[in-house]
Amino acid sequence: MNLTIEKLTKSFGDKQALDIDHYAIHSGEIIGLVGNNGAGKTTLFRIILDLLHADTGCVTIDGYVDGVPVSCDTAKSEEWKAYTGAFVDTGFLIDYLTPEEYFRFIAKISGIKDDVLHDRLLQFDGFMNGEILGQKTLIRNLSMGNKQKVGIIGAMLHHPHLLLLDEPFNFLDPTSQLAMKYLLETYSHEHKATIIVSSHNLTHTLDICSRITLLEHGLILKDYDRDYAMLNSEIEEYFRGQQSGKI
Amino acid sequence: MEFSRVRLLYKLISHNQRLQARRHPMFEKKMVMKILSYIFIAFWAVYLVMLGFAAYSYFEGSALEAFDWIDGGMIWFLIVDFLSRFAMQETPAQNIKQYKLHNIPTGFLLHTFLLRMGLQPYNLFWAFFFVPFGLLSIPHFYGITGFFGFIIGWWLMYVLNSYWYLLWRTLLNRNFFFIVIPVITYAALAYFGIFFDTDSQWLFQGTVRLMRGFCQWNPMCWLLFVAAVVPLYIVNFRLQKVAIYVEIAKTEVVKQFKTHNMTFLDRFGVIGEYFKLELKSTVRNLVVRKQFITGALCMLMLCGLFSFSDIYDEFPFMRVFICMYCFTCLGVMTLTMVMCAEGNYIDGLMVRKETVLSLLKAKYYFQCMILIVPLLFSIMPIMEGKITWLTALGCMLFTSGAVFPFIFQLAVYNDMTIHLNEKLTKTGRDTKVQMLMAGGALFLPMLVMYALVECFDDSIASILMLSIGLIGTVLHPLWLRDIYKRFMKRRYANMDGFRNSR
Repeated sequence: MNLTIEKLTKSFGDKQALDIDHYAIHSGEIIGLVGNNGAGKTTLFRIILDLLHADTGCVTIDGYVDGVPVSCDTAKSEEWKAYTGAFVDTGFLIDYLTPEEYFRFIAKISGIKDDVLHDRLLQFDGFMNGEILGQKTLIRNLSMGNKQKVGIIGAMLHHPHLLLLDEPFNFLDPTSQLAMKYLLETYSHEHKATIIVSSHNLTHTLDICSRITLLEHGLILKDYDRDYAMLNSEIEEYFRGQQSGKI
Repeated sequence: MEFSRVRLLYKLISHNQRLQARRHPMFEKKMVMKILSYIFIAFWAVYLVMLGFAAYSYFEGSALEAFDWIDGGMIWFLIVDFLSRFAMQETPAQNIKQYKLHNIPTGFLLHTFLLRMGLQPYNLFWAFFFVPFGLLSIPHFYGITGFFGFIIGWWLMYVLNSYWYLLWRTLLNRNFFFIVIPVITYAALAYFGIFFDTDSQWLFQGTVRLMRGFCQWNPMCWLLFVAAVVPLYIVNFRLQKVAIYVEIAKTEVVKQFKTHNMTFLDRFGVIGEYFKLELKSTVRNLVVRKQFITGALCMLMLCGLFSFSDIYDEFPFMRVFICMYCFTCLGVMTLTMVMCAEGNYIDGLMVRKETVLSLLKAKYYFQCMILIVPLLFSIMPIMEGKITWLTALGCMLFTSGAVFPFIFQLAVYNDMTIHLNEKLTKTGRDTKVQMLMAGGALFLPMLVMYALVECFDDSIASILMLSIGLIGTVLHPLWLRDIYKRFMKRRYANMDGFRNSR
């Protein structure tokens, strides 16, 4: 699934939160969105997902779903929702359901049968680490890490062609972070899906992403192709420069 | 603590409280909303002033002086005031929490908040009634000083009532059944003080004497007030002190929940899933559950009154009127907050196609199903000949086909998230639009019915209501889709509101 952003701007009062002239993501890419707090990562996610109104510009998703060409502007149509999965924060979770009920709810509204759901959940077994299913607990009573896992699994259950995850490594313990990395790599490989991940964890982001986009003050400063050694040193240098500038 | 520090802290806390009120999400809404809220307050102020003049005209020339009638009915004023405080007054414990870690003694904080509670402007709101009434009736007997004594006396009664309310509101947060005690107290006072012994009417006479004492600046009356307010203040102080720690240490008891698949609803597809969601939301979320139980109790109470008593039997209109409210009250009470619970997870709903439409449909079917309860209760009045089957069905269909479409419009405009398990009261939950729509939903059927019953006979009125309702009910996919389309047009503003009020 391709994603194209054209002349996108968004400001909150006097503050320019986003200003992207042109940005294109190609099918099958895993994009890592990095930047300091307030860089505009979550705002960009929200605009892509039509949860926030852009001042100008548009976001277009196009590609093939089951061999059929699709194309739509996310603010003008709801068609993209069928092949897009996303988790931004706990505001995506219906927290008075148990994880099982939540997954079943998503499966039902996505047209997934019970046996298929069962098989799909098995694929997340390692990631869930025995802490999600069968706990007889509502989502609101889970730890932040486990809520994060429920949200991520919920976003991936219907096998979306485009997956957006905002800070997916947050709140996860080291084992789950590694499982998360493996999960994303496997998913991308198996489904040829386009994945956009924002994160403050540079190591994990660099490990899994084929492309890294550096966002700062709403602007795309750099767009790196994967070359781990060069990327690592360049990005670290950038953030070190930012820090020394502040100090 | 030094006096200068006390003054500084008091000023700072007062300033913060003013900011809290001013920066309430509702206060930061559009200018229209602000103006509407001012109009709402102005309406009640003018209404009370008019009532003050009207009360004087009504009682003038009767056996007792006009002010004696009003003073004697003090208990009724205090009951209305007590009820109105549920929407207006917060408990201090939740406000103190944010200051608890700072270098400010807890005792000082409690005194500050309790004092401010007594001095809150709302305690003076009834002055819109008492000033014009007092000006017309008091100076003639007690002079202008008597008038001031009258106004201050009533204000002190409201201060007393605010502490009395606070006491029960705090206990109510612990256990809902504490509501029984103030209800019994007011009921017993009214019954034994006024109705039981019609010769002495000790409560009536007592409050008359008390207020006459205030007019005469009788020291005994002021002492009586002090004797009542000091223990109440102390009890509140102690209770709030405990409540702060309850509030801080509040951890939700994690209950074990069995996963319920409710497979019998699977045959209804996506709508069935949202129906399950609606049921689980009602059962598992404290605020939604309370709202539903309160509405259901009101509905059952009205149904009981209608079925088992004859107090509404005198006029044909009243019979239809009460029958109508048996059907509408629960829907109006719960649907006023339509979409507010979903504000907690609106992002999750909005990234999936047409979920809000399915949700609205499920909510509509859920409300329609509940209408069966008042219909069952109507069987007895139908058997007794109070109303006909046609009237009962007319009321039911008018609710599902006219009242619900009206109140469902709030789905387009509601943009305040309600906290699903918040135990303590937060005021300002209802927006003015919600109040207007709820008012409309309550008065609209009454107006329509009144017009129909006045213009035609009972059966024709019932047929017309049934027809209107049937059309609205059959067309529900159309009007629900229209609401959905308008919701989608306002989605950015609504989602922004939901996120900001989470």
